[in-house]
Amino acid sequence: MQACISVVDDDALVLRSLGRLLRSAGFTVRTYPSPQAFLAQGADDAPGCVVLDLSMPGLSGLELQQALAASPDARPVVFISGRGDVPSSVAAMKAGAVDFLVKPFEERALLAAVHCAVEKDRAARRAREESSQIARRVAALTPREREVLARVVDGKLNKQIAAELGTAEKTVKVHRARMMRKMGVDSLAGLVRAWTAIRQTGAAPQY
Amino acid sequence: MDSHSTDWRGAAVLGGARPAFGWLGRQWAAPALLLAVGYYLAARLGFAFTLQPHPISTLWPPNALLLAALLLAPVRAWWWLLAAALPAHLLAELQSGVPTAMVLGWFASNCSEALIGAFLVRAFVRGPLRLDSFRNASVFLLCGGLAAPLLSSFIDAALVRLIGWGGGEYLDLVRMRLLANVLTELTVAPLILTWAAFGPERLRAVPARTLLEAAALFAGLLVASLVAFDLPLLDANIAPALFYAPLPFLLWAAVRLGPAGTASALALVVVVTIWGAVNGLGPFSGGTPQETARDMQMFLIAVAVPLLLLAATLDERGRVSRDAREQRLQLTHLSRVAMLGELSGGIAHELNQPLTAILSNAQAAQRFIANRGIDPEELAEILRDIIAADQRAGEVIRRLRALFRRGETQFLPLDANELVHEALGIVHGDLMMRAVEVVPQLAAGLPAFQGNRVELQQVMLNLIVNACEAMSAVEAGNRRLTVRSRPVEGGVQVSFIDSGPGFAAEHYAKLFEPFYTTKPQGLGLGLSISRSIVSAHGGRLWGSATPGRGAGFHIFLPAGGTAA
Repeated sequence: MQACISVVDDDALVLRSLGRLLRSAGFTVRTYPSPQAFLAQGADDAPGCVVLDLSMPGLSGLELQQALAASPDARPVVFISGRGDVPSSVAAMKAGAVDFLVKPFEERALLAAVHCAVEKDRAARRAREESSQIARRVAALTPREREVLARVVDGKLNKQIAAELGTAEKTVKVHRARMMRKMGVDSLAGLVRAWTAIRQTGAAPQY
Repeated sequence: MDSHSTDWRGAAVLGGARPAFGWLGRQWAAPALLLAVGYYLAARLGFAFTLQPHPISTLWPPNALLLAALLLAPVRAWWWLLAAALPAHLLAELQSGVPTAMVLGWFASNCSEALIGAFLVRAFVRGPLRLDSFRNASVFLLCGGLAAPLLSSFIDAALVRLIGWGGGEYLDLVRMRLLANVLTELTVAPLILTWAAFGPERLRAVPARTLLEAAALFAGLLVASLVAFDLPLLDANIAPALFYAPLPFLLWAAVRLGPAGTASALALVVVVTIWGAVNGLGPFSGGTPQETARDMQMFLIAVAVPLLLLAATLDERGRVSRDAREQRLQLTHLSRVAMLGELSGGIAHELNQPLTAILSNAQAAQRFIANRGIDPEELAEILRDIIAADQRAGEVIRRLRALFRRGETQFLPLDANELVHEALGIVHGDLMMRAVEVVPQLAAGLPAFQGNRVELQQVMLNLIVNACEAMSAVEAGNRRLTVRSRPVEGGVQVSFIDSGPGFAAEHYAKLFEPFYTTKPQGLGLGLSISRSIVSAHGGRLWGSATPGRGAGFHIFLPAGGTAA
């Protein structure tokens, strides 16, 4: 899917010029004259990033970055600023900005930052997609299968699991095989990897 | 003679600015020659101003010429100048049938007068004498105008008695010499001294208006002097009142034309008066030659002394106020530059925006062309944007240059709202970075007023910057600067109201004091200079505060006002 770049700058001339530059480099571009206009626009399905002016009236670039990070459609941010202000740039980078460019910047610098941000977004989207798939699979398990899963990834043997659940080892084997099939994995290693992935993104069910 | 202790500016006046050439001073050849020629002509003029039948000299210009030359030259050149005058003296005097001993005696007494005057003046004023201050003029009047003629008159009269040429009592001789010499020193020496200080460059720089004024003045003065001192028709009874006819013109010269113009006007009156007396005309003729000479000389001396002092004092006062104005201008400029320094971050932002737009547009066009060709419509848009951005950057630079430039003193008709817009435009970047929201409340149809655009903009910038700094401790969303303009009685009021902490009443008086500042890098001159700028416009600058809620600073400018 083609990447879509959102540009937010209150200066109409700068906004149009950046829009053109990114389009000339093959991106789909959306331009917003204010942070409010950008927030009102809502989520965007395509991978991409936000090119954000640091100082704008109303909501500052840093505040918009925070609002964006907290929202469900978080995207990487590339900051642009009319002045090389060290405290702001440090704050922006700490809050996860991909880059901080001081105007006027070379196209190479902007395009490199945007490419990097888009790649980050693609990777993040892949990871999110993968973990939500795993979460869906976990959700499809029966309560007993989930109990077995939790104990398998803890490294317990079938015999131990059977003892803990008060059932026969043979029954545990059946549950385990069904659980592995539903989770779409064929090895213990694969199962642990999927489990870890959803644990990191917070999609893992709590037991 | 310590020639090293003398001031070198004298050499520049008389002999050009060439460097010294040993003690001989070859550069004094031309001035010495000039002095000799001048001396000869002055002596001829002196003869023409002699009352007949019994020869009584009323004005003897060579003496004053010598004194003026010495006062302009360094001490080491004095002997050269005196030596150069000797042949001229001999040439002029030996024609008149006076015994050689007497001719030489007079040269000695003439030189003694010049030397006494020059030494005395040098004791008080170093370097070439300029009659441009009360002190210098007083020194000249006392030393060159009184002491030198007085002392040399005794010498002169003694020599006359010794050689036995001419009769009369010793003290009568002294008195006659004294009055003639004093008048000469007061008339001729100031003329030379002031014009030497004026110089040809300054003469060329005189505006045509002043030349016209001078021409009118001298024409009027000539007519008034001729009527008062040369017309034979006038009734002797009204003549004393006519003495005052030239006075308005002389005062006019002292007030408007400076020391050189005054000395010239004075010389004109003296020449016309003496010419009348020599030809038996005017109020002074009629008595014996001695009485005529005495009355006329005393009258002219009485006119000359206060006039020369007045011209010098006025010149000095004008110079002092010009210096003060120049200093104020410099200080104003300095604090403006300092303020622009504080604003440099925001100004860089204002320039970087259009530069970014230009660069990105041009690079986008390049890419479009390289990749897939470009739609002419899109190219036209890009070029339009580039031009707009370029004009914007140019405008920022134009405004900055106007503020950086020094001292335009012109007052032009101005619009308060336009000034506010321009000032806000300059600090736009700064306001943005400081997250200050501007609330403009500008009334339409404000009366126009006269003012100095750059200085008033400086005042507004200063108030805006102060407001921003006052709000730096306020939470970002609550920094509001209200800029209000409205017509008030007699003029316009522009207010800058912030939402900062305000100030306590006891600090208010200090705010406008020079060097009072609350900023670590501040000069503390902003408000005091702003207030003096507004005062110079005939307006007022004051502050108001609601502690905890904000402060306001207000400028009142009178409609149609003029420079104070």
